[in-house]
Order: sequence, then C-alpha cells, then structure tokens
Amino acid sequence: MAFDFDEMLVKIKDKQWALADIDWDAPGSETIGPELWTKLKPFMSDLMWIENVGARGFAAMAQKAPTDTLKEIYTYFHAEEQKHANAELALMRRWGMLDGDEIPQPNVNVKLVIDWLDKYSDQTSLAVLGTVIPMLEVALDGALVKFIVDEIDDPVCQEVFKRINSDESRHLAVDFQVIELLGHAKMRKIIVETVGAWMNPSLIIGTLRYIPLLNKMRDNIVAMGVDEERLYTAMRRFKKVGERSEYPKRLPMFRFISWHSGVVINRAHPYHKFADALVRVTARYPKRLLRPQPTWSKELTYEPVA
Amino acid sequence: MSEPLSVAIIGGGFAGIGAAIRLKQKRIDCIAIFERGREPGGTWRDNTYPGAACDIPSRLYSYSFAPNPDWSHTYSGSAEILQYIERMVDDFGLRPLFNFGHNVSGVRWDENASVWEISFDGHPPVRARAVVMASGPLANVSFPSIRGLDTYEGHKIHSARWDHDYDFTDKKVAVVGTGASGVQIVPELVKVARSVKVYQRTPGWALPRTNFATRQATKDVYRRFPATQSLARNAWFWGHESVALGVVWNSPLTRVVEAVGKLHLRRQVKDPWLRRQLTPDFRAGCKRLLMTSDFYPALQKDNCTLVTWPIARISPKGIRTVEGIEHQADVIVFATGFDVSKTGTPVPISGRDGRILADEWSTGARAYKSIAVSGYPNMYFTFGPNSGPGHSSALVYMEAQIDYLVDAISYALARNSILDVREDRQREYNVDLQRRLQKTTWNSGCSSWYLTEDGFNATMFPGFASQYVGQLKSVDYDDYTTSEYRPAEQIELTATV
Repeated sequence: MAFDFDEMLVKIKDKQWALADIDWDAPGSETIGPELWTKLKPFMSDLMWIENVGARGFAAMAQKAPTDTLKEIYTYFHAEEQKHANAELALMRRWGMLDGDEIPQPNVNVKLVIDWLDKYSDQTSLAVLGTVIPMLEVALDGALVKFIVDEIDDPVCQEVFKRINSDESRHLAVDFQVIELLGHAKMRKIIVETVGAWMNPSLIIGTLRYIPLLNKMRDNIVAMGVDEERLYTAMRRFKKVGERSEYPKRLPMFRFISWHSGVVINRAHPYHKFADALVRVTARYPKRLLRPQPTWSKELTYEPVA
Repeated sequence: MSEPLSVAIIGGGFAGIGAAIRLKQKRIDCIAIFERGREPGGTWRDNTYPGAACDIPSRLYSYSFAPNPDWSHTYSGSAEILQYIERMVDDFGLRPLFNFGHNVSGVRWDENASVWEISFDGHPPVRARAVVMASGPLANVSFPSIRGLDTYEGHKIHSARWDHDYDFTDKKVAVVGTGASGVQIVPELVKVARSVKVYQRTPGWALPRTNFATRQATKDVYRRFPATQSLARNAWFWGHESVALGVVWNSPLTRVVEAVGKLHLRRQVKDPWLRRQLTPDFRAGCKRLLMTSDFYPALQKDNCTLVTWPIARISPKGIRTVEGIEHQADVIVFATGFDVSKTGTPVPISGRDGRILADEWSTGARAYKSIAVSGYPNMYFTFGPNSGPGHSSALVYMEAQIDYLVDAISYALARNSILDVREDRQREYNVDLQRRLQKTTWNSGCSSWYLTEDGFNATMFPGFASQYVGQLKSVDYDDYTTSEYRPAEQIELTATV
C-alpha cells in the first residue's frame, strides 16, 4: 500500500508533546551514580548537539521538499529534533550537569558539521541530505538512545526517551519512504543529480567532516562503555531497511552511504586509518578558522516555559 | 402597499458609499444602504489596530469622483481613511440613506413581483428592484484553526476587532500572523510591551514603504487646481500598472521585485539565520506583497522574537510550539486576516427558479466580469469573483464596478426592465479568465487566501487594472437578457428608507 504522507502529517500533529508535560523535579535523578554521571555528561552533550544538527538538516530538507505536505512534515521534524535537544538539555539540567545557565559546547567535529550545515546545507540536494540524515538518525535511535534507555533508571529519563523514540520512529518511516520516492526518478535524472552533487566541492568538504564525526561518535560511545556492536547493528539496519524495496538501490547516494556504513562497522578496513587520522587532525583544527556559531545553534533551552 | 426601493445597497463601506454617491448623481433617489454595524466605513471602521494603514498611496486609494486634497502622507493611516469616508457620507448627503444595525439574513428573487426581497435579523424585510452586494471580501474575521484555541485563559484580540481598552504596557504579547496587518501591528507593540513574540508560518515578500508627509503647499495646489491632483493620481496609477509586469505575471520583472525584496531584507537584517527565516520560498506576488520598512527593525528589538516553530497548540497560558516550549503570554493578538469566501456567498442568495448562489459557487465563485451572475437579475456585486488587484488600488477596481453597475441599474430602471446576464457569456468569460490566471504568479504554486483548497482562483483579476477598468467601461446589453418589470400589487411589504 502506498505511503500516505497526509496521514503521517496528521499523526505527527496528534502526537505532539511539550517539555511542560514532564515533571522535571520528579524523584529519580539520584539513580545517576557519580561514575555514570561523569561519563554521561559528554555523551549527553554530544547527543544533544547531534539532535540540533539533525534539526538543521531537516530545515534544509523542508526547502527542497517536492510537496507541501512533505515540506510541512520536515518543518515539524526540524522542530521536533530541536525539542529532543531541548529535552536532553533539560535532563542534563535535572542531573546537575549544567553550571548555572551553561549550555555545553559542541565538540570540534560537531562544530565542523554545524559550520558546514550553516554554509552549504540549503544548497545541498534532497538526495544527499535525505540519505545522510536517516543514517545519523538510525545511529542515534538504534545505538545512543537505546543505550540510554537500557542503562539509565531515572523514570523521567525513561519517559523522555520513550517520547523521543516515538517521534524518531515516524522520522525514520518518512526518511525511508522519501529515499524510496527519490529512487523512483528516471535514472538519467538520478545520474545527472549525483554527478552534479559530487562536482560541488561543498559535498566533498561535508564528507570530510562527516567521516570523523562518525568515528568520533564511535570513540565516545566506546568511552561510555557502550558495546560498539550496538552502533554497528544500528548502521546495518540502514542498509537492510533501505533495501527492502528495489528503488533505493537505484540511488548512488544511498549505495554510497550504505557502503560507507559497511566500511565504518568493519574495524579491520583500511578506511579507519584514514578516518581516525581525520579525527586526530580535526581535533587540532584551528578554532579561528571556524566562523561564529550560527544563531540557529544557539536556540537551545532547558526551560519548559518561556 | 409601498413601492419597492429602486436600489438596496448591502454594506456601508467604501463600495456601498461609492455606489450610493454615483446612484444619487444619476438622480436615482429611492435607495437605501443596509449596514450591520453602527457606523459607516466597513473594513476601515473595523481595522483600527495600532499602525493600521493602507499600503496603497492615498491618492490612488480614494475615489476620483471624491478627491481629497488633504491627505497628510503618501500612505494614510486608518483614522485618516475613516475621516475621508465620513466626509464623503456627509458631503454627498448619504447619512439619511443608512439603515444601521441591519444584518442581512437572506436575499431572495421574487419572480412574481420582479423584485428582490431582503430579510434582516430583527427587522422587517424590504423589497428592491436592484441590489448592490457591497458587503466586501474583508468583512468577517478569521481565527486560525489551532488546537486549544478556546482553552487560552489570557486576553485574545483580533486585529480587525481591536480592543482599545486593553493596555499593552509591560505585557507579554504573542502576535500570530505576519501578513499585511501583522507587519503593521508588531512595530507599534514593541514600543510598549515588555516582550513581543511574533509567530510566523510563512514569510511574505516585503518591499520598502517610504511614507512622506505631504507639504501644505502641495495640498494648496491640489485644492486650487484639482487637475494637478488628478495628474498625481494618474501618475500613481501608471506607476502601479508597470509593477503589474512583475507582480501579476511570472516574468523576468518578478525577479526584479524579488531582488528589491531581498535587498531590503539584507539591508535591514544582518543575522543570516533570521534572514533565512524571513525569506519567502515562493514567487513575489504569489501571496500579497507586504509594504513595510518598520517590521524587520522591530523584529530585531531586544524585546521582540520571531518564532518560526510550528504551533502545536494553544494552552491556557500561552502557545506551545513544536520545539517543546510553552511560550506564555498575557495576550494573543491574531493578525490572521479575514474569512474570504471563495466558494460561498456573504449571505444566502436565491435567484430565479429557486437557484441558490452558494450551491452554484460551491466549487468556486464565478461571475460575469466579477459583477453579475446569470439567474440573479438586477443584482450586482462589488468586489465579486476575480476582481482582486495584486498590484494596484482596490478603489480603482471598485470605481469601475460602481460606474458599470450604476449604468446598468439606470438603464433598467429607466426602461422598467430586468437585466439578467446571459449564461453563455458568463461561461465564456470565466473560461478565458481561468486560462489567463494560469500564467499569473497567484497560480504559481504557493497556497494563499486567493485560492481555494483545490487551487481554484476565484479572487484575482489576471491583468492590468486598466484592462479591468476597460472591460467595465460600458455595459454591453447584448450580454444580457432583458425582460419587463411587472410589479405584483398584492404583495404587502414595507420598504424602510
């Protein structure tokens, strides 16, 4: 049966929740022991920033959506990713991880991606963003969020991530449907668009920022004590779900991302020498070369009401 | 039994007043204006929000047959426009024609008596040989369909029903809507409120609006030599006509209009993300152009925030947006425009053989030259279907409609006849009109109040104002069927004048 985007939009509107729906002062924060607390802080910070980056990706996708309904869906997803980031920040606040009004700073790899998104995402095609964003979402949903749900007993955290998971399931449903939709295009159009996209240096720059982001994420996850196999299982899912239909396979970008995820999960692949080197290089990236943090990345708040 | 009215005018705004003036000038005396409000003025009586003003130059936003040399600025505020309306009412002796507090509940063609019977809420019905439907497209306010709208416990104000008793000083204000009225209200509210959050769904193309004060010497010249005022009006008219090339049709000049809009935005907004949020993603002209030089600076004031997150619902204390935050507010201002009917009719109208106009228009309103509908004899619409201007003054269009309907009514009354537009001519006109609309910016892909949900454009005229005026220059009676007026003497209804 054909996917009904209108029905999905109605469902998205029906399922809205707000930070004010959650009792942030409810008991349970004491369940985070000192050891977990220390590891959790950078992890939550990364997670929050990746949600924020995803939000910006959806904002760019909304501009390219082929229909008004999909445009509105992406506009909602943009806001929902921001909501997830806000909720994660509110959890950090609940757990006493924020110093006053402090908003944790993104790591350099996230900063590089923010910088790229700010400069290039609006000019990047739906085919590119529409395959990369689901990959990040699959990784987030399947590994990071799952890890938190499994490892943290705080009932407020459980409630928050239950809601986030519910939103993400709709995001993924739409993401994969759009990949399939893109795969229906004429092959000539797909090839022209793909060649055109790769002729643009911005995509190469973006790829060089995306590669260390993934490996850095992996390192952070491992440092947290998460079994990296979890991340790999999630990334395998991207290929598996996408290939349920024949159409995504017609997209070179989908094939590239699938291939890339396969390489990422193969620790023996020589790719990692390159990717890990990029992680080391980017760690030394001169901050003065980064443009000022865009205002869209400063809209995060842990306050349920304003 | 009293005689029916010669003409019943429904609505006492600009169009109704203009029609009454012209009918009186043609020595048609037995006329009445039925107005549901307590004052004349229509849209301009209702829209008195802070900053309310016309975005068409006053010289053009006034009747050529009622010149006003005293406009204080290039663009007038609502109070000054209302004064102009009041002055017309007094100068042309229209006040006795007004029947205030008359809310029309139905208009029915009585075939036996060859007259229209007009019913009211709480008043006896009247009969009239001709009817001018001057109820206007911007008469009924529109609240957005947002979940929880009724649960809000703070103060709610619609821009067209302003609450002048409410003191905004030091209040947390939410403004929903960034259309023509929103961009005028926000700069005024940021001057007094503690905070203003502006909720935008779709950004519009905004062009700079430079509002110069008119020098006394200029006013004196206009008064002493009315031809100079007429010249100024013509200059504005043709200036706006040239804008049509970029605004009405999707043409290279549309890019020029967009470039002016982008330059205006770039000059006034430095932050790239805010600029992106304020950049439209549709062709200029597709939705109504905004004329403002104050909106962007107001948005960047310390006490003002632009919110572009979709609204999830309205809660008792404020507005919850999809990024999960409840934005609490003491008052919500709805600058959400009007319920512009593109498929129905302002009041129930039944014509010949019991036909119901609302049924005929259920898939989109259609009329002959926007002014007459076959099967509804001696009835004329001002601002009927497809008479909306995208680039010029509504008053220019209205004046042409009034002159046309006054000619047609004079003709019918003088010859004791009933004019009914031919169905085939009406159909041909609309086929051609819709074909022409396909090439316009309004039909270029955005959704707007110009279009029905199915994308049918029952609102705008696809051409220059001069073309619209030209088609209404004279009544071609070949386009009408004519029958004889035979009053039925047994009907007992009282005409209230």
